[in-house]
Amino acid sequence: MFNQNGLSLDQAPPISVVLRFFLGGALFGLLAGLLILTFGVKIFDSANFEAVILTHTFTLGVMLSFMFAALFQMLPVIAGVKLTAPTTKANLVQFPFILGVLSLLSAFYTGSSPLFATASILLGGSILGIVFVMLKNLIKLPNHSASSKGMTVALIALAVLTVLALYLTSALGGLMQGLHYTEFKTAHYSFGLFGWVALLIISISFQVIEMFYVTPSYPGFISKYLPLTLLGLLITGFVLSFIWPHAWLVVTILIALSLMAYAFLTLRRLTQRKRPITDATVWFWRVGLSLLILSMSATVDIQFMEMPKLQALNYVFFAGFALSIVFAMFYKIVPFLTWFHLNSQGYFTAPMMHEVIHPKTAMKHLYIHLTTLVTFILSVFISPLIYVAGALTILSFGWMLWQIVHAWKLYIHTQKTGEKFEMKMNTVSSEQ
Amino acid sequence: MSKQEKIFLDARELEHPVPLERAMYALRELNEENYFYMVHRKKPIPLIDLAVEQGFNTLSREDTQGTWHVLITKDPSLNLETLCNV
Repeated sequence: MFNQNGLSLDQAPPISVVLRFFLGGALFGLLAGLLILTFGVKIFDSANFEAVILTHTFTLGVMLSFMFAALFQMLPVIAGVKLTAPTTKANLVQFPFILGVLSLLSAFYTGSSPLFATASILLGGSILGIVFVMLKNLIKLPNHSASSKGMTVALIALAVLTVLALYLTSALGGLMQGLHYTEFKTAHYSFGLFGWVALLIISISFQVIEMFYVTPSYPGFISKYLPLTLLGLLITGFVLSFIWPHAWLVVTILIALSLMAYAFLTLRRLTQRKRPITDATVWFWRVGLSLLILSMSATVDIQFMEMPKLQALNYVFFAGFALSIVFAMFYKIVPFLTWFHLNSQGYFTAPMMHEVIHPKTAMKHLYIHLTTLVTFILSVFISPLIYVAGALTILSFGWMLWQIVHAWKLYIHTQKTGEKFEMKMNTVSSEQ
Repeated sequence: MSKQEKIFLDARELEHPVPLERAMYALRELNEENYFYMVHRKKPIPLIDLAVEQGFNTLSREDTQGTWHVLITKDPSLNLETLCNV
C-alpha cells in the first residue's frame, strides 16, 4: 500500500484477511455498546467487574482485532515482511482469539476457573503464536525503517503483556497464589496501553503521516529512539516496582510526557501539509491526538491526587484516542485495498476509491464519533447519558460494519461482473 | 527525438493514494502513440508492479533531489531512457 520498501503484488495479503479482522473488531464494538447499555455508569469504576469486562471487550476484542488487521496488511508493505500463507495464519489466529475473548469475558463475569484456563490457552496460544511468527520475520529483515523497528518493539510489548496476563488469569483462576498480583496487574495495563496500543500507533504514524498527508517527516531522533525509550521505561518500571513502590509513578509520568510531546509534534506536522484538503481521516487523527494529550495530562494529575471523575474521563480520553486513529486508518485502508486488489487482478472497471466508501460517508462517521465522545464525557457527570453513549457506540460500530459489508459486496460484484484489462505482451522493464 | 505524446503527472504533492489512482487512470489511456511520465516523491512500486504485470514497458530513475521519474509505455520497442529527464 505505501510502497517505498518494495511491496510486490504477490506479497500483499488477500483482502479477506484484512477485512475479517476489521469485521471481528466491529462486531466486538457492537458487543461493547450492548455491554455499556447493560452496565451503565458502573463501567467508570475500575474496581467493578463490569469495568474489567468492558475494558477487555474494547482492548482485546475491538482494538487487537483492528491492530491484527493493520499488522497483516502493513508488515508486508511497510516493513517488507512476507507472511507466508496469510489466510491460514489469519484463521489460526482469529478463531481461537474470538473464542478466547468470549471465554475471558465470561470468566470475569462468573469467576470460573475452567473458563479462565480456557481463555488463557486460547488467547495465549493465538496471540503469542502470531507475535512469534511476526517477530521472527521482522528480526530477519536486513534493513529496518523507523516503522519496522517500532512495530518490532510494539510486538515485544504485546508478548510481555500477554505473558503478564497469563499470570493474572492463573491467579484469578486459582492455579497459583498470585503473590505479585498488584505489580503484574500494573505492568499488564501499562504495557498494554503505552507499550502496545500507543507504540503501534506511533510506529505506523512515522510512515503514514508523511505519506498520507504529505507532511515533513518526523525528526530522526524521535522516530529512531522514541519506541525503544518507551519500551525501556516500561521494563524499568516493571523491574523496579518489586523494590521501589514509586517506580511506576515516575515511569508513568515520563511516558505520559513523551506521548504528549509526540502528539503535539504530530499535530504540528498535520498543520504543515503541502495540500491541506479537508478529509475525515485528518480530523480523526486530530481528534485522536488531542485526546491523547488530554489523557496523558489526566494520567499525570491522577498520580498525585484521588480524582474518580478525572479517572473516568481518562478512560474515555484514551479509548477515544485509540479508536479515532483506528477509524482514520480504516477509512484509508478499506477503499484503497478494495480498489487496489481489483486493479491488480486486472479489473480496470473496478470502482474508484470514493465509490467504495464515499468521503461524505467517512465524514458522517466522524460526526457520530464526536457525538459519542461528547456524550461519554457528559455521562461522567450526568449518569443517564451513559445509555445514549451506549446507543451511539452501537451506531458507530454499526456504521463501520456496514462499510465493511459494502466494500466486500462491491469487491465480489466486480469479480463476478467486471471487465478485465487484457494487454499481455512481452514485458520490458528498466528499474533502478 | 520521439514524436510520442507525453501524458505527464506531477504527483510530488498529491496525498496517497491519489497518485496511484491517477496513474492507473492514465495507463488505461495509453496506446502505441503516447507514454506516461510521472514524477513522485517515492518510488511507486505497486504501480510499477501492476504495469509490469500487464506487460507495459517501464522505466524508473531517481534524480539527485530524490525525486522519482517513472515512465510507462505500451510500445515495447520505445527506448524510455531517451525520454527520461534524469
